[in-house]
Amino acid sequence: MFLHNLMRWMADTRWSVDLHESRYAYSIVESIHVWTLCLFVGFAILLDLRLLGVTLKSVPMSQITTRILPWTKAAFVLMVISGLLLFFAIPLRTYHNVFFRLKAVLLILAALNAGVFHNGGMYRRLEEWDIASVTPRAAKLAGAFSLALWAAIVFSGRMIAYNWFDCESPQKSAFMDTIAGCDRTNQEVP
Amino acid sequence: MRTKLTLAVAGASLLIMAGAMPALAHHAFAAEFDANKPVRFEKATVTKMEWTNPHVWIHVDVAQPDGSKEAWAIEAGTPNVLFRRGFTKQALLPGAVIVIDGYRAKDGSHRANGRNLRLPDGRTLFLGSSGTGAPDELKVPTTPKSN
Repeated sequence: MFLHNLMRWMADTRWSVDLHESRYAYSIVESIHVWTLCLFVGFAILLDLRLLGVTLKSVPMSQITTRILPWTKAAFVLMVISGLLLFFAIPLRTYHNVFFRLKAVLLILAALNAGVFHNGGMYRRLEEWDIASVTPRAAKLAGAFSLALWAAIVFSGRMIAYNWFDCESPQKSAFMDTIAGCDRTNQEVP
Repeated sequence: MRTKLTLAVAGASLLIMAGAMPALAHHAFAAEFDANKPVRFEKATVTKMEWTNPHVWIHVDVAQPDGSKEAWAIEAGTPNVLFRRGFTKQALLPGAVIVIDGYRAKDGSHRANGRNLRLPDGRTLFLGSSGTGAPDELKVPTTPKSN
């Protein structure tokens, strides 16, 4: 309820209204989100496939991270900023959207996966397997998780546009309502 | 050999993605609305207009034969699309009585994808929503053209 009210407040702020009513800004932010998402996922796929030992096998892992990771990080920052702006433009509806909630959970999992890999022993002992064409199991797992999670994140992100399970739509099931955090006793549109 | 296989896989993936693209290009009409269920509201009283991206929503009360009212929400295009057709946030104020043509939501809710709107002064507006994409869409009984 606290978050619901926070989103409701946010939706009425001047900047949120200006953004969702805008003639150009919203579309530009949306485009930036998709462009930077393409860059980020594109670079991430290269890293993941190298971790899996599928491609760029003759290139040392450290070479790939030195060259590609800065671009990946830059794209990530722009992607997150534009994504937050998209949320900020339509906070209340998005907060109650099941696909957004799924995406949020998947993002946390992706962050954990990246965090465990980068701070775990495997990445610190990189020199041991830097030039190995067959990568260690833990590295393969990290790459596979990353590929699967980011594919699912892009998919669920795209699905946010659909209102099938929105609180204003007819109830599909009590379960989906719980996921969406809908309060159907409240006549007011959330 | 290996290269050929990789190329084949990449080519096949591209083809599949290309096939899926039209469905992803837009918040698809067919996902939410039914092209076989056109609706026309002869007397819809505007209660609120949500001037918002990615789609503007016009909320109306529709007079029923028995005198009661039914609340409906009509989806239109983006604010930019409507603006280019001479529409603004202040163009539809609560209380305005309008005529609306559109297509019903598949889920049976009181929502419709708006196609045309006629203002009290007789001017018409193409609502510029996602539409059915059907080439003969305009043959469905509709409001007369004013421009």
